Amino acid sequence: MAMTENQGQGGTLITQAISAIKRDREGGRTNPFGYLFIAPALILYLVFNLWPMFRGFAMAFTDYRFIAESTRWAFNGLDNFKEIFTDKVFLSGLGISLRYLTMYLPLMFVLSLFLAILISRVRVGGQFYRWVVYLPTILPIAVTLLMFRQLFNYKFGFFNNVLMGFGIMDVPNWLGDVGTALPSLMVADLWRSFGFPTLLFLIGIYNISVELYEAAAIDGASWWDQLTQITLPLLKPTFALVIALNVGVIGATESMLVLTNGGPQASTTTLGLYVYQVAFQFGDLRLGYAAAISLLVGMVSALISFISFRILRQS
Amino acid sequence: MNTTVNTHASAPRTAKTFRTLLRQSNIGTHLVMIVVLITIFVPVLWLIGTSFKDRLEFSTNTSAIIPNNFSLVNYEYMFTAIQNLPIYMMNSFIVAIGTTVVQVFCASLAGYAFSRLNFRFRDLIFVGILVSMFIPRSGGLMALYELMTFLHLRNSVVGLILLFGSGVPVTIFIMRQTFLSIPKEIEESALIDGANWFMVFWRIALPLAAGGIVVIATLAFIGAWSDFLTTYTLIDRDNQMTISVGIQKVLATSYETALSPRFRGQFAGEAADATMLIFAATPVVVLYALLQKWFMKGLMEGAVKL
Repeated sequence: MAMTENQGQGGTLITQAISAIKRDREGGRTNPFGYLFIAPALILYLVFNLWPMFRGFAMAFTDYRFIAESTRWAFNGLDNFKEIFTDKVFLSGLGISLRYLTMYLPLMFVLSLFLAILISRVRVGGQFYRWVVYLPTILPIAVTLLMFRQLFNYKFGFFNNVLMGFGIMDVPNWLGDVGTALPSLMVADLWRSFGFPTLLFLIGIYNISVELYEAAAIDGASWWDQLTQITLPLLKPTFALVIALNVGVIGATESMLVLTNGGPQASTTTLGLYVYQVAFQFGDLRLGYAAAISLLVGMVSALISFISFRILRQS
Repeated sequence: MNTTVNTHASAPRTAKTFRTLLRQSNIGTHLVMIVVLITIFVPVLWLIGTSFKDRLEFSTNTSAIIPNNFSLVNYEYMFTAIQNLPIYMMNSFIVAIGTTVVQVFCASLAGYAFSRLNFRFRDLIFVGILVSMFIPRSGGLMALYELMTFLHLRNSVVGLILLFGSGVPVTIFIMRQTFLSIPKEIEESALIDGANWFMVFWRIALPLAAGGIVVIATLAFIGAWSDFLTTYTLIDRDNQMTISVGIQKVLATSYETALSPRFRGQFAGEAADATMLIFAATPVVVLYALLQKWFMKGLMEGAVKL
């Protein structure tokens, strides 16, 4: 397939990076055009990308409140972090976010792996299916989320009207009940993000040698045996990648912001939304405190990615 | 595969060959796939169907995907009564096209330098940019808010263009790969004939890298058009708002403007909302359909490298 052509050029990013640094040592004549050519990209990247990264880190150790100019560099050591661990909204948000992640990841695995296996089995039309599967991911986020708001609407929504069509009159208030709000948001988030994991699993499956399956078929292995003995074990590295790329939902913000703003009764106030509220909706606009929470969230997701990589990529 | 099957097919064995063909074309898998895809896309189909329902149709036939009576009242209403919609749409085009131009300009120059020109720290800088991409940007949104306020670029489409244009690691990477795959003999002979590096880049290398440029342009346009959280945070003034953020405001206010006498009582607010959501998504979907080959190529190549 087309995607395996490029592998000859030198494996993953990391291995390419290492060989690039080695080549650099060999040296050579310096061409001033080089600096000129990379200048626009480098300047933009430094100002709008790297600076916010460093500044965001530093901000986590300040009591910066946007409405008070003088607090911009008011370093307060670890005070933000001490406050975080007694902050009731943070602690409940942490619970909600972890619950969200543990529901979201398995469902994402099942859905995207199922689609990838189906697509990998067709001989004609694979390209079309790949295109369709990625369509939800390119839709503007707000459009997808507002579409789900319509679907979940209590009176005029699609789901409830279908249920009523089947004679079920006691329909749930999807986004308005504590029990259903978080799962409903998750359906929307799953819907708009399953495309990329599906493509990753598909690449993983394409890279498994066909001969393995043929040999297994000769030995009389059923499709279930082939799935559990060949496909799943060989996809372990892809699982690690999908976890690393999706662990970010621990800081999910947009779906809550657009659909529930944390309600009902704070049952969807995830860490991501809380960060947003502290920074841009509540009183003083406490950017420093928000940055501190955000840093903690980032550390938790980095830790989860790291562990999953260690477990799934080294055996 | 199909050609071998065809050449071996002789007349008396047509039935058997047909069965083999059926099996080899995975009809069963296609059927399952189509059922699954329809299930997944029911929300979109319903949204499209709803946009053609007038008030009566929507309230009596809410869950139908194909309405009994097609009506264009929602589209009429959208194009005539919603004042801000053209502004938002125009801003989205400005931001998306501006981002695309900035990205293509910066990334192709840099990609060319990283693939062809020799200079000190070249590969160190390249690797540095790539590696830094994987460091999570915790607090990045707060820092951006401060930075854009400081630069007087908050509430400005120019700010958004520069910001989205700065997301260069992936696009530089793709352009570098593109240039590396082009033979450099032509460029070398042009240099011997006295052309400088910029002329070589502009006249010879860039036209040959058209494939890579289409890939990064598509990625940049769709990314900029679809962004929500950053735009939502940085823009709160109507005349600078893009459709991906403005759509929420339009939906919230559409019930008030629904009182305009021409459309009173003719349409349901929810159906009009559906129409506007479709409108907001159309440009990226069209682009995605037109450039699907290029987009998928860029995406799959990027994903394989991960």
